[in-house]
Amino acid sequence: MNLSVKIANLKFSNPVTVASGTFGAVGECWDLKAAKQLGAIVPKTVTLLPQQGNLPPRIVETPSGMVNAIGIENDGIDAFIENKLSMYAKIGVPVIVSISGKSDEEFQIMAEKLAGLSSVSAIELNLSCPNLKHKVLVAQDAGATQQVVALVRKIVNQPIIAKLSPNVTSIADIAAAAEAAGADAVSMVNTFQAMVIDVEKRKSMIGNFTGGLSGPAIRPIAVNMVYQTAQRIKIPIMAMGGISNAEDALQFLIAGATMVAVGTMSFIDPNTAIKVLDGIKVYMRKHKINDIKDLIGFIK
Amino acid sequence: MKIQHQLKIISNKKITDKLYHLVLEHGKLAAQVKPGQFVEVRIQESLEPFFRRPFSVFRSQKAVEIFYEVRGKGTGILSSQVKGAMLDVMGPLGTAFTLPAKKIKQVVMIGGGIGVAPFMALSDALKNRGHDLLLLYGGRSKEFTFNMAEFKKNGCKVFISTDDGSVGVKGRVSELFDKIEINPDTTMLYTCGPRPMMASVQKFAQEHGLKGQCSCEEVMACGVGVCLGCVVKTTAGYKTVCHDGPVFDLHEIVW
Repeated sequence: MNLSVKIANLKFSNPVTVASGTFGAVGECWDLKAAKQLGAIVPKTVTLLPQQGNLPPRIVETPSGMVNAIGIENDGIDAFIENKLSMYAKIGVPVIVSISGKSDEEFQIMAEKLAGLSSVSAIELNLSCPNLKHKVLVAQDAGATQQVVALVRKIVNQPIIAKLSPNVTSIADIAAAAEAAGADAVSMVNTFQAMVIDVEKRKSMIGNFTGGLSGPAIRPIAVNMVYQTAQRIKIPIMAMGGISNAEDALQFLIAGATMVAVGTMSFIDPNTAIKVLDGIKVYMRKHKINDIKDLIGFIK
Repeated sequence: MKIQHQLKIISNKKITDKLYHLVLEHGKLAAQVKPGQFVEVRIQESLEPFFRRPFSVFRSQKAVEIFYEVRGKGTGILSSQVKGAMLDVMGPLGTAFTLPAKKIKQVVMIGGGIGVAPFMALSDALKNRGHDLLLLYGGRSKEFTFNMAEFKKNGCKVFISTDDGSVGVKGRVSELFDKIEINPDTTMLYTCGPRPMMASVQKFAQEHGLKGQCSCEEVMACGVGVCLGCVVKTTAGYKTVCHDGPVFDLHEIVW
């Protein structure tokens, strides 16, 4: 059975990975053996400078999901490269480093830092960030998306994956812009802008006022977006959006995704990604599919 | 270390109107839990409620014991779980109380409401170690004072305040602070409960130069320090309750 997939020339042993911000090495609570089985790992997005993150409360539970506004709390890219990267690389599967910049210049500086590092297998551009020069998120503007991708393209040889926001009129248009600028793949979708109100206090339940909805609640919307986008672009799609089991992941693959990332559900059951991988194998055996590529985009 | 366990419910008894005592089979978990640590319980095999629920461990001797208050959807469903059912439990998680040094004469545990739960595990660990154990407990009403006898069995002197005065002193637990020996070298405070209560303990400790630890609570998603959702503000910036805590130095938290 062949589960391997590729983004540009980068080969993954299987299509199952994790969504940035939902996987990390913390203390002993990290099952190395399990992580080794994944197709790739994607650590939490890093920014150029350290960020302390948003005012709590940062998370709230919703029906089949959660709203979060963490605020990309991280120690900055230099500390990441120095303290964490080698630990992730030791797992032995491709490491996709996710970066987010507040300006084109910040993306440029971070890309330059990652360009020569052999332990960085690919770079995910988290474009769901407010750009100082644009009034909207980069991922909400085809021109801004194209500009950032093209800029990073000139600097790095590693595959570039543009992470897209679903908070747009047509995500396929943004994906096409990323493709035109030289992205090797798109990852989609990031969280949906959302809000939960405490009616007794008449206050938002999130310190940042609004946040992003993730989890199984968004899955059918995400599947449709992946399907629509797969019709438009030729580069691979790394899909995420509420994957909780193999059937969810298979929906994305059949809709046209080349890879699938487990995100929020890892918080609920840290073993979800491995269960997804095992379930995909069971499905392929049952349906006598020898190569995962015969599944990708083959919707009847 | 394996942190995800499938544990069988030995009992899940209603103690008072809102309080329940959940006993889970030993598994490998009970022996690993240190006083102050917590577990994250998946309430049922379903997407509702979505998050696991964190509970500090009340006792972990022959079994893993949890005291919980039915507050909302999650604890409501948990209260309907019956003997023999299996629960998906992650643990032990987070930091434990630092046990007092030998020179500490008076150990003061200051608990509010269900926040008293981890002090049973702490007093289990501290009994017969030569410290004077003091429990200052603030509850809403008599209903919340049901398990004080267990603390007395562990050698704790127990003083109670209730909001309605139905047991002990009427008022907040701070009414009982006069029982604390003001000696920075030999007194150690531990507190767990509502934020305003722990803030008042911190203020008292600061005024008198006393050392202490507090156990915090926040809404959690992952429980293992990954999502960064459950942070509290500390003198060193935001820290996660689930991984950097729940037990922090009393003076570290910025309320």
